[in-house]
Amino acid sequence: MNLSVRLRASVLGAFLVAAALPARAATADLPDLGPNVTVGRLPVGGTVIVSPAQGAPVAAVELWYRAPSTGFGPKPEPGIARLAAQMVAASKPIVGDPLGKTVSDVGGRLGITVYGDSVAISAVVPAIQARSIVKALTRAYFAPVATEDGFREAAREVEQESQISSFDPETVVRDAVFSELFSAGPQHFPTLGAPKDIAQISLDDTKAFATRAFRSQNATLVVSGAVDPGVASAAAGGRPDGDSSPEAPSEPEIASDLEPVTKNFVESVGGYGWIGPGIADTREATAMDFIADYLFRSDDGYVTRQVLQKYPQALLLGQFITLHDPGVMFVVYSGRDDTPALRTLVDDGFARVQQAMDPAAFSSALEAFKYHLLSDLQTPTEMADNFGWYNVEGAPDYAPGANGDGGIYFKTADSLTPDFVAAVAKKYFAKAPAVVTLRPEPAPAQKAKSQ
Amino acid sequence: MRTWLGAAALLALLGAAPTPAARYPTAFATDLGVTKLIAETDADAAISGAQIFVAAGLDREPKNGNGVAALVAECITRTPVAGAALRDAVAASGGTLTYTVDGRSVHYYLEARSEHLDALVAMFAQGLAAPDFSAPTIALARQSLAARETAFETNPLSVGIQMFRRSYYATSAGQPALGSTASLALLSSSDVAAFYRANYKRGAVFSSVVGKLTPGLDEALKQVARGLPDGPVIAVAERARAIPASAPRIVAHRDVSAPWIVVGFAAPAPNSRDFGAMLVLESLLSDAFERSSATTIGFLERSVGAFYLYDSTPASLVVYVNGSQVDPALALRELLIVSHSLSTRPLGAEPLRHFKAAAEGQFLSDSVNLSDRAYLLGAFSSQGLGDDSINAALGSLERTTGGDVQRVAKNYLQRYIVALVLPRQQ
Repeated sequence: MNLSVRLRASVLGAFLVAAALPARAATADLPDLGPNVTVGRLPVGGTVIVSPAQGAPVAAVELWYRAPSTGFGPKPEPGIARLAAQMVAASKPIVGDPLGKTVSDVGGRLGITVYGDSVAISAVVPAIQARSIVKALTRAYFAPVATEDGFREAAREVEQESQISSFDPETVVRDAVFSELFSAGPQHFPTLGAPKDIAQISLDDTKAFATRAFRSQNATLVVSGAVDPGVASAAAGGRPDGDSSPEAPSEPEIASDLEPVTKNFVESVGGYGWIGPGIADTREATAMDFIADYLFRSDDGYVTRQVLQKYPQALLLGQFITLHDPGVMFVVYSGRDDTPALRTLVDDGFARVQQAMDPAAFSSALEAFKYHLLSDLQTPTEMADNFGWYNVEGAPDYAPGANGDGGIYFKTADSLTPDFVAAVAKKYFAKAPAVVTLRPEPAPAQKAKSQ
Repeated sequence: MRTWLGAAALLALLGAAPTPAARYPTAFATDLGVTKLIAETDADAAISGAQIFVAAGLDREPKNGNGVAALVAECITRTPVAGAALRDAVAASGGTLTYTVDGRSVHYYLEARSEHLDALVAMFAQGLAAPDFSAPTIALARQSLAARETAFETNPLSVGIQMFRRSYYATSAGQPALGSTASLALLSSSDVAAFYRANYKRGAVFSSVVGKLTPGLDEALKQVARGLPDGPVIAVAERARAIPASAPRIVAHRDVSAPWIVVGFAAPAPNSRDFGAMLVLESLLSDAFERSSATTIGFLERSVGAFYLYDSTPASLVVYVNGSQVDPALALRELLIVSHSLSTRPLGAEPLRHFKAAAEGQFLSDSVNLSDRAYLLGAFSSQGLGDDSINAALGSLERTTGGDVQRVAKNYLQRYIVALVLPRQQ
């Protein structure tokens, strides 16, 4: 650890507020997320959500930040958010162990996920360790320490992760679709960055990013699972550094002209996507979620079942990604030589939902959709992800987990009709999508021949 | 190389502190008359899940009948009920139906909103009582299983584990869970019907539920059992072959980019006093060789990992080496050195605390959703861990001492079978 890093850590530590206020019950300025969910403000700013639940003695402790994956500066640095978050987890503070070791010592798992405009750091731990991990996680990410060793280790790990994800068809197609749909802004770039991008990011830039992004005032702390409602009182206080406002969402630039993209990959893969409604348009956004569930739900989606029957080895994933504004409907499919035929099945599915469904079939699909929503919220991690995501995207009380099946999301789902869903599908899917095709690089002999 | 030095440092620490207790809600058993129910309840649960165990797993498959347990299960989920195939009818009603074939049972899992689960279990009871074994249904079921088996064959870890199981078990419990394309093709309608008749008996069924218990659910579970004929459930021998000291090696070639090694050991059953110690060894062998990382390393990035397979009797432990991440020969050598060293002295207090915490964390992380919890509740209970069986398993882990780990390493880790999955020669 060099001296400047030591001093920096020490200075940041000195400003930590000694004790965090316990989360309080929802008030007028805080969202109502349900009778069992406590929402409050952290002492120097930021939101805390505690969602106790019976069940497995496990807790999810998550910190969510609004932060662009490419950094705050005018020049995009793809991967800097991921690198900064990893660096903090890897850096050894003046007192105690690096966060990663602290979590693994109690048998927990630590993960970091970066999206275009947000970062989530999540720990899954035995519930009896929840308080200590709330303390450790907030200490680490409310006053981030950056050491040269931690930076080096983080760069190595993130480069490796990036390398591995470059073989993941879903990641490659999603990044390419987003890159087409958005002409600028963080959504235009891959969230992880390419290994060469990461190698170019400096320690100073990474530290500057961490200092600005990882503040209590910009944080949403979510704790879910078999925990006491007062567990958040263990949170560190944060830096009262004058800037008490959270970061604003980035303003994406939507591309006006979409050109089909073709890239080399290890196998034949296709995908496409459309711009969809923002999170504020809850009815349209819910309709898009319903469509994605109806068409692509694993095992029993309308398209999924046809694909499983005809091409059982194929890959098919489709989802609506609810974002601040706009959201994105995205699908990826792969079946070696059958990839073009898969495209036809997917196209047919999107055409089908532009027609109003038979009322009985619609009713059944809606019931299944609502069950799927609840089923996808059954673990502490799923619930914490749900509250964290919707809070960061700016609509906490629209989270499907908020107030269970009596909340805004479920009421909105109940308001859907076959005609409305068809109208939303027409509105967004009638336009040309951003299309991405990945295909195997021709063998050298074929290359030579074609030249 | 740093990874292996890490393993050496671990061994240097060989020389116990109590860990706080993690506990699931207390589970209890209810005698429903015709069948038994084990439940872990949560009155506020929006979603509930039921595992319905039938003693009709791999260990009851006849010789030359591999795949019949899965084929029967697949046909049951395709049996028409309420105007659609059972699985589709359940999905259309807002639920899911899946099944898993393992060494000792086939277990069907139903999940739905808590207030709807009883209706879906009743729907399942209809399909279970009068399955469709017609030629078209069997053909579709066979096609589906064959596709899944093909996907299974592309996963080198699954292939390696299966190679070990086949070599280790002296009974059908070591056969592939879904059969193979060849074995499935040989199964006729009468084979399928005969397996069903022989094994789907009232006394072969019990259930476990996690979530909300309702009177309607009790009644539906009774209906599941009542729909099956009474009659004796024939006991099956649960045997494994003794693993020779010569460390046999089995080799297979697949379309993989790098070699994978699976080392298989015998392991204690869940009701053994050695269970907790083997969970510690599973955790230790998984983590001791892994490179350090600030965040938890995902499965694809791992170079070495371990699975304690207690779904079959006798149980086993497998340790795998991913040759795309690490030199497999070096890894194997290190693994065997560590296995031997663990048997020579007790684990010291600090490593024991660390690996017990890691083992507990791993156990809890793998047992969070309703499906896994209901499965473990039933599986552990049926293997002698009592009604509150998941907590009993955690208790076993908590009581584990350094001496226990040494004893179990000595008793189980000194003989092994090595399965090598190698890339095909170009």
